[in-house]
Amino acid sequence: MSFLHINNIKKRFGDTTVLKGIDIAIEKGDFLVLVGPSGCGKSTLLNMIAGLDSISEGELLLNGERINELHPARRDIAMVFQSYALYPSMTVAGNIGFGLEMRKVPKAQRREAIQKVARMLQIESLLDRKPGQLSGGQRQRVAMGRALVRDPQLFLFDEPLSNLDAKLRVDMRTEIKQLHQRLNTTIVYVTHDQIEAMTLATRIAVMRAGELQQLGTPQEVYDDPSNLFVAGFMGSPSMNLLRADIVRHEGVLHARVRKRNEDVLMLPIERDAEALAGWEGREVILGIRPEAITDPASAHHDGRIFEAELEVELVEPTGADMYVVTHLGGREINARMRPGTDISAGTPTRFAFDVSRMVAFDPDSEARIRHT
Amino acid sequence: MPSSPPRHGEGRGRLQQWLPKLVLAPSFALLLFFVYGFIVWTSYISFTDSGMLPDYTWVGLEQWSKLWRSWTWGIALHNIWVFGLLYIVSCTVLGLLLAILLDQRIRAEGVLRTIYLYPMALSFIVTGTAWQWFLNPGLGLEKTMRELGWESFTFNWLINADMAIYTIVIAAVWQATGFIMAMFLAGLRGIDGEMIKAAQIDGAPTWKIYARIIIPQLRPVFLSAIVVLAHLAIKSFDLVVAMTGGGPGNSTAVPATFMYSYAFSRNEMGIAAASAVFMLAVIAALIVPYLYSELRGGRS
Repeated sequence: MSFLHINNIKKRFGDTTVLKGIDIAIEKGDFLVLVGPSGCGKSTLLNMIAGLDSISEGELLLNGERINELHPARRDIAMVFQSYALYPSMTVAGNIGFGLEMRKVPKAQRREAIQKVARMLQIESLLDRKPGQLSGGQRQRVAMGRALVRDPQLFLFDEPLSNLDAKLRVDMRTEIKQLHQRLNTTIVYVTHDQIEAMTLATRIAVMRAGELQQLGTPQEVYDDPSNLFVAGFMGSPSMNLLRADIVRHEGVLHARVRKRNEDVLMLPIERDAEALAGWEGREVILGIRPEAITDPASAHHDGRIFEAELEVELVEPTGADMYVVTHLGGREINARMRPGTDISAGTPTRFAFDVSRMVAFDPDSEARIRHT
Repeated sequence: MPSSPPRHGEGRGRLQQWLPKLVLAPSFALLLFFVYGFIVWTSYISFTDSGMLPDYTWVGLEQWSKLWRSWTWGIALHNIWVFGLLYIVSCTVLGLLLAILLDQRIRAEGVLRTIYLYPMALSFIVTGTAWQWFLNPGLGLEKTMRELGWESFTFNWLINADMAIYTIVIAAVWQATGFIMAMFLAGLRGIDGEMIKAAQIDGAPTWKIYARIIIPQLRPVFLSAIVVLAHLAIKSFDLVVAMTGGGPGNSTAVPATFMYSYAFSRNEMGIAAASAVFMLAVIAALIVPYLYSELRGGRS
């Protein structure tokens, strides 16, 4: 029995269905990140778990107990909101302790709990201030403190970092991850930022338009996307997606990709070969991560490397990496190469394709082509 | 006259700079004369021996001491206390209550809001006349109830010297409550919905969410509402004139009706001026700090 079980949950507003049957199950101690573009229903799902939105259909089980109709206060959950939602008329201590006060925890015990959480979040010196006197990062900590102090079964985070500036966001991200590891809490976290999802999650649920696209560990979602949307959404820079024909060449299945100059590049099919055999003579969409296309010297030789010479169109150094843009299958293709490599635009260069990391999608249904 | 194109442009620039001031100058001058000029004039009159007509003989504080010895002025001050307090408290409490009820995402909210707000669009004279008819024992509520068969029904506050001031409170509250409600509704709509959700998850029952989280945040609205109501209360004149004319006897006299009757029917302009200056001082004591804090708040 899983700890949190979201069982075929649907949400309708009048005639429009915003959640079309979501199935997710996580274990105690999991960090589930719901990720997707805005309007995909991830926040609605979170509000339904919190009890702030009603459930139209399906079942919500926490620790084996159905909580569909339970009032938010009685679900043993705590939530951190995007706007932090601190109570402006109360001090920081009052904010953190409000939930305990409402649960009639004695004052001395309450003070102790507030102190403990404040120490953990390093906001002890702020306890007597009002939220209006705090910076964004401090408010964020207070909001987390308010959730932590109650020690609930389940923590819910609704885009908690989206109001912070870029640097603070990265710091807070690390801190949330450390808190999760230290306290071994169960967390459901909503974000539209796939980097946040990748770095924080133990399980990622990618959503789009009210449907669950894929549920898995960050590595599974990244390496083994179940469809074109997940492939394009997760990862930055995003996965290269290009048109290719599946052909048999010298007895081996190949993806034939058009170069800029009407030449073709034949990439041997390594992965999902059985499923792709059925696609011989048809067009598919090929997906290759930028880091699976490198310069020959830095290629991972545990994969299956296929080298080809292509013309470089653009070089974008980022310091840590160098992104090299070339043209394949009618699209710009990003390759990640070692910085300092002597490559310049307009010159033919050898590219190393790790074909064992190549995936293919059905261009019509956008589903992944793989052995089922 | 040398008038090269750049100089011409400069002249136009200067005109544009001065035009707003030029356009505003006449009304500014009128305001200065008729408002502030007459404030000074009235203040002066209150220290003179003026009766039916202004008389510039200086008599010092004589009119002021007459004012404070006047029996009617005492009634007027007592009435304005009773009226003002009840009016401000009732309007604020009822307005807040209506706003909270309207904020429950009910249907037809727009219609209801308009209905509650409409009395504010009426002039005090109309409100006063309508309520005078309605509360008049021989015309309105009492007569109707008796005709419907409730023979013993009595509601004669309007003609009862002890109770008449409360009928004015009823009419005034009826008129201003909708406006105060609109102010509170705007305040309620400005509160972050996530905060209420957070309080729900924290386990606060609805009344506690209002008492501990929402109402404390409406403090600026309370301040505005009280200032608006307080100065309306002190200025109240037309409503009293239309409903009771200050009667029965002097029982519903308020400072404004006192001032009017002393100036225009009892030919005691000096006393009237003193009462007017006193009212101005009280209103200024309320409004000036409020405006100061509002304007300063707007700048920061």
